[in-house]
Amino acid sequence: MTGDAHAIALQEHSPVAGVAHDERGGISNPVLGMILFITSEVMFFAGLFAAYFNVRANAPAWPPIPPTVTEELAEHFHHLKAEPWLALALTVILVLSSFTCQFAIWAIRQNDRTGFIRNIAVTVILGIVFLIGQGYDYTQLGFGLADGVFGTTFYTLTGFHGAHVFGGVIMLSVLLYRGMAGQFSARHHDAVEATSIYWHFVDVVWIALFSTLYIL
Amino acid sequence: MHPLRHPRNAIFVGILFVVIGFVYWFVPYVGGWQLDYAGVTMLAALGIAMGLMAYVLIAGSPNE
Repeated sequence: MTGDAHAIALQEHSPVAGVAHDERGGISNPVLGMILFITSEVMFFAGLFAAYFNVRANAPAWPPIPPTVTEELAEHFHHLKAEPWLALALTVILVLSSFTCQFAIWAIRQNDRTGFIRNIAVTVILGIVFLIGQGYDYTQLGFGLADGVFGTTFYTLTGFHGAHVFGGVIMLSVLLYRGMAGQFSARHHDAVEATSIYWHFVDVVWIALFSTLYIL
Repeated sequence: MHPLRHPRNAIFVGILFVVIGFVYWFVPYVGGWQLDYAGVTMLAALGIAMGLMAYVLIAGSPNE
């Protein structure tokens, strides 16, 4: 059995089939590193969520109402939960982008480079649309980072998430560039697998954020 | 491979922390004491993080 055939046989019988592998059957280094990074990111966002829940549990009313805040601010806070339509649209966009990202993975696993490039390009565009939409949402909210604990926790949570989306868009853009340069194939696409895991994670965090901030 | 080394078993490590988080919420809830929502959130997230860590440790090992 040749070295390549041996590696493929190991991959097919590996308990982690479907995830990028190294030649001995374990997970490839880029994917391994990304999973470890995401583990730390889980705890990072957990800290932010924990702060939010602690503040919310100890507040006399949530969203804050007068006399804790002004009538105008209370109205803006209420509006955030009463009409979350733009945030809902952004949620749909981000979930769609996770699908297109996964379609890109499936395409490159089949050595379909055209399908990979097309789906990654759509994912990048959806990510950029999300960021523009979030920026627009910020201009319409009517309250800022300094407007009490509600404003601070809202902008901290969504802002850090937006920064992660921005990072993801950059990573996806690099994938797009490298894909167009023909650097990926069915056997060599560890960077694509690692980036897709990150993008799915960012999507899941947004669903948790949207549910917590806009619905609960 | 020993059955215990299968990557799917990593989920039990995560569940362990989630159960601890549930107990940490349930006992004060029943007892009528102050609920520590931050602690419960961190324990639940720790379950996810530890599950991932266990997965990496098991699945990242070569099949040799």
